[in-house]
Amino acid sequence: MTTSNTSNNSNAQFNFFKMCIGRPVVVKLNNGVEYRGILEVVDGNMNIVMEQTEEYLNGQLKTKYGDCFLRGNNVLYISAQPRK
Amino acid sequence: MDKREEGSVEEPLDLIRLSLDERIFVKMRQDRELRGKLHAYDQHLNMILSDVEETIKVVEKDEETDEEIIRNIKRNIKMLFVRGDGVILISPPLRTS
Repeated sequence: MTTSNTSNNSNAQFNFFKMCIGRPVVVKLNNGVEYRGILEVVDGNMNIVMEQTEEYLNGQLKTKYGDCFLRGNNVLYISAQPRK
Repeated sequence: MDKREEGSVEEPLDLIRLSLDERIFVKMRQDRELRGKLHAYDQHLNMILSDVEETIKVVEKDEETDEEIIRNIKRNIKMLFVRGDGVILISPPLRTS
């Protein structure tokens, strides 16, 4: 349980992503913008593709995108969301 | 979970591949937005776009009233190479599934 090495960590990461796919997530970027949508796919660079994406700035809805691709370097966190 | 047989998205860059020769929306750093037709891209998101409309959001502060005035400056570019590191978000036109 307490043993952790890099392969375990990346496995946990992979499992987390797998668990989140097809589910609502919140992705926050370094610039403070938040994206809420259905997670479609993630890669090792944390590039993200989401569906039905809503862009929030300071908690206010700014824009909606059908599909959207987020470049991984901007990602601060990916958070799993309970279904509304 | 629905799996698309044809043109499915298995990795994030597949979404960009499916947008080749389509008009896409690109959100860039420093409040810049691009709309143009995607001709080529690579793994860094370096891109070649054509018939691009660039929108730059400029916030100006009124000295007297302290009001913030947001201005959108637009310009058109025939052919554009975009360096990938400035890209934040890419959105293709709505896909018909």
